Amino acid sequence: MKKDIELDAIIEDYLQGKLTAAEASAFEELRVNDPSIDQKVLTHKLFLESLKEYGKVLSLKEQMDRAHSQLDVTALSQKLGPHPSVIVNMWRKNRSAVAVAASFLLLTIFSIYSIQHNTKQNGTYEVMRREITNIKNNQNKLVRTLNSTPRTIKGPVGAAKFGGTGFALTANGYLCTNFHVVRDADSVYVQNNKAESFKAKVVYRDQQYDIAILKIIDNSFIPLSNLPYKLKKNNIGMGENVYTLGYPKDDAVLGEGYISSKTGHGGDTTQYQVSIPINPGNSGGPLLDNYGNIIGVITAKENQVEGATFAIKSKYILEALNAIPQDSLGKKPAFAKKNPLQGLNRTKQIDKIENYVYMIKVYN
Amino acid sequence: MSNKLSNSVPTDREVVLGILNNSEDALNRLYVGYFPMVLQFILNNNGDEDDAKDVYQEAIIVLYNKIKSGDFELSSKLKTYIYSVCRRIWLKKLSQQSKKTNNLSDFEDVVAVEVDFEQHEEKEIQFEKMGSALVNLGEPCKTIIEDFYIHNLSMQDICEKFGYTNTDNVKTQKYKCLQRLKKLFFQS
Repeated sequence: MKKDIELDAIIEDYLQGKLTAAEASAFEELRVNDPSIDQKVLTHKLFLESLKEYGKVLSLKEQMDRAHSQLDVTALSQKLGPHPSVIVNMWRKNRSAVAVAASFLLLTIFSIYSIQHNTKQNGTYEVMRREITNIKNNQNKLVRTLNSTPRTIKGPVGAAKFGGTGFALTANGYLCTNFHVVRDADSVYVQNNKAESFKAKVVYRDQQYDIAILKIIDNSFIPLSNLPYKLKKNNIGMGENVYTLGYPKDDAVLGEGYISSKTGHGGDTTQYQVSIPINPGNSGGPLLDNYGNIIGVITAKENQVEGATFAIKSKYILEALNAIPQDSLGKKPAFAKKNPLQGLNRTKQIDKIENYVYMIKVYN
Repeated sequence: MSNKLSNSVPTDREVVLGILNNSEDALNRLYVGYFPMVLQFILNNNGDEDDAKDVYQEAIIVLYNKIKSGDFELSSKLKTYIYSVCRRIWLKKLSQQSKKTNNLSDFEDVVAVEVDFEQHEEKEIQFEKMGSALVNLGEPCKTIIEDFYIHNLSMQDICEKFGYTNTDNVKTQKYKCLQRLKKLFFQS
């Protein structure tokens, strides 16, 4: 018994490294020679380790219990525990699922929206391209087919093929119209508001700006008195009220609107975009501002856009006019210096202008 | 406010260094910092506050042992690690109570902790064995053993504490106690 206690103490000291070097080596020799002692040492070592481990965990738990006692667990569990309400519980439990569903929904909405948006843009883009590649197809040349309205009038026999509008540039019978009105013309007649027809010939063509200048060559034509309107050389601002006279039918028709853009089709800077009701037959009609200045020539409208009419800026009329030899234009100046229409009301203005706006009838 | 600041969750680095230096303050702050997270998890998965405390303390022990073992690397956030260990432990407990474990409500990310968990289970078994062996040992043996081996009291201290006449008597008593404890421990 005594011996066992001694041995145990020695083993303990050995394991804790308390033996001197000589004692330790002596003990190790003993271990090697006596397997039962070796066994005892190993067992004791394992046991001590378990005991130490136990102690460590125990003290750790004590520490944690101390930390735990600082916490107000009841309040925390009220805050964090399952909510008595079922709905809140469901929300808490399925928060991530709800979040995923919501983002999915959002994503779907966005993609649908953007797809729609895209298609719309694609559509416009295609339209634009088509218009750019063959602009002529897409713009309604406002040429009226006159087949349906044969009338017996003084002048040529038979019905005109196309009709348009023109207006006087000079008192001696120079008229301005669109190039596309007279493009395929064999012969051209013009008709005034008194239903008098005169033969005319095309003296100037400008395909680029879509302007043509006609000259009345009929013997029965009596030179006009001074032109009532002025050709405005400057550009006009957006929003300016404008009106036009034209012949979409056999009598002159007034159209009223405003400048909606300073550029025409596809950003064409030679044209205005005008918001004005226009029909086939209005092509070549004068576009006038409130003061009776001619600011452009109605030329076309866009097919797929509502209320987008295009008018060639008056500057290009002037350019066309300059191409005609000055002496042919007559002695009187082409346009009055002072605008006689200024200050008159719309009805009076139209009354005067009406005599200088012609229906162009084209035969081919 | 100052109370709140001192309770604020320590950084992962602070915790690791604190545990390596046996800092009780670091452990405290770690404990206080992440307990609400675990409480929330347990309460929302068929547990109560006591379950939360047990699970959380086990998880801290796992973390503690892992850091102490020296090969600890921060492969994830401590928060995630603690949560994952708690989750694993709670899954085990739920299945022991034969409750359904298929749809746990999770509140955090989860990392794989299977290896650490298995190691912990072995240690836990040893701990339980030692605990029950000590309880079965009875007084005064239990206290003598604990004082000597765990609290590292000297023979002299124990001699005075228990009113023994000399240390030899204590040594004999301790020897007897230890033999019995060994028996209890290795038999169970």
